[in-house]
Amino acid sequence: MADSLALTPIALVDLLDRVLATGVVISGEIVLSIADVDLVYVSLRALLSSVSSVRAVTPQPFAPQPFDPVGPA
Amino acid sequence: MTTAGGLWLHAVMRDPDPARLTGLTGVGGGALRAIAAAGLTAVVCPVDLAEFGAEPLRGNLEDIGWVEAVARTHHHVAVELSQLGPVVPARLATIYLSDESVVGLLTRGRTGIDAALTRVSGRIEWGVKAYTSSAPRPTPAVAGSGPGTGADYLRRKRAALSARSEAATAAAACAEELHRALAEVAEASRRHPPQSRGLNPRAASMVLNGSYLVDAARGDRFAETVAELASGYGAIEVELTGPWLPYSFAIVPVEETPDG
Amino acid sequence: MTGRVEVDRDGVEKGLASLVLTIVELLRQLMERQALRRVDQGDLTDEQVDRIGTTLMALEEQMNRLREHFGLSPEDLNLDLGPLGTLLPPA
Repeated sequence: MADSLALTPIALVDLLDRVLATGVVISGEIVLSIADVDLVYVSLRALLSSVSSVRAVTPQPFAPQPFDPVGPA
Repeated sequence: MTTAGGLWLHAVMRDPDPARLTGLTGVGGGALRAIAAAGLTAVVCPVDLAEFGAEPLRGNLEDIGWVEAVARTHHHVAVELSQLGPVVPARLATIYLSDESVVGLLTRGRTGIDAALTRVSGRIEWGVKAYTSSAPRPTPAVAGSGPGTGADYLRRKRAALSARSEAATAAAACAEELHRALAEVAEASRRHPPQSRGLNPRAASMVLNGSYLVDAARGDRFAETVAELASGYGAIEVELTGPWLPYSFAIVPVEETPDG
Repeated sequence: MTGRVEVDRDGVEKGLASLVLTIVELLRQLMERQALRRVDQGDLTDEQVDRIGTTLMALEEQMNRLREHFGLSPEDLNLDLGPLGTLLPPA
């Protein structure tokens, strides 16, 4: 099985589907501001939606937002 | 130990034999190294912040050639590591500045990572994509002249428009059926967002982009099932990719910390 | 060197033509759909329906002639809007 994993030719688009949005998804000390980088159209937006859904799953301790006059959600 | 460079996180495993890591290189050409904590092992390699720091990374991520080279190396390492045991790969371009930060990750994320390792152990992933069939639709007959041809033209146009929307509706329905059938025989399934047309010219007609987690021993049978089911759907063209390392089922959200 | 410049100029002309014709084609398709909706309302005489149809047919023929004059295929007449997809539906 490892052999077939290694030898199968892989299309970049299918690989990016997997490595951009999966695995251990955290913010390291270098925050991935891929949101600011216009990489390739929809695949970036796919990453954005997966990042935002990750945040929804992992509740953050409340931190006041600078432009939010309403306060905690 | 804090280094001046960065640490590219390749993957997290349970307990790989460190001797098997020697000689393997990762993204940027650096040697793979293990950092152990909380019963887990992070596999990292050193990277130069001149190329992988926050600012240069932004620019490099805009270069599809750079992204491709890095993604394929990242993937190659994950595949090599999978020969040593179950692997949860890191998302592309996850970079830390110190060993301590990596230890922090392992400690904070231990439960989720451990669950993911168990989930993917002994399993592979198949990718199934489906497109609206590109079979040519009948072209309108050459127009004549004389009474009635105007109305004929409108009829042809109306028929062409409804044929196109019917094809799209039928394709979507087939894709749903196919996904449901595969999800039932797989251990788990996941649907990906639409692909980018810049990378895949056919993306506009894609109606399914799914991943299916399957026991490695049953991998071939699953592929046969896909082929069998696909042959029954005239409205879609089905493409199988894989087998993959179970990327799509190794998702571990870990809280960020203000100080890393 | 001269040859390369000519190829580039052809490319620019072709690019401009395909842009302009794409917009014209978009309008033509929109008009066709409008016309179909109008006809579907059912209150037009047969003669009126026929006139609308022959007008649209002539427009389509003109479009094809223009397109061929610039050496453009039907697929060339489209605009890539990135995440919004293409301007015109796929042929």
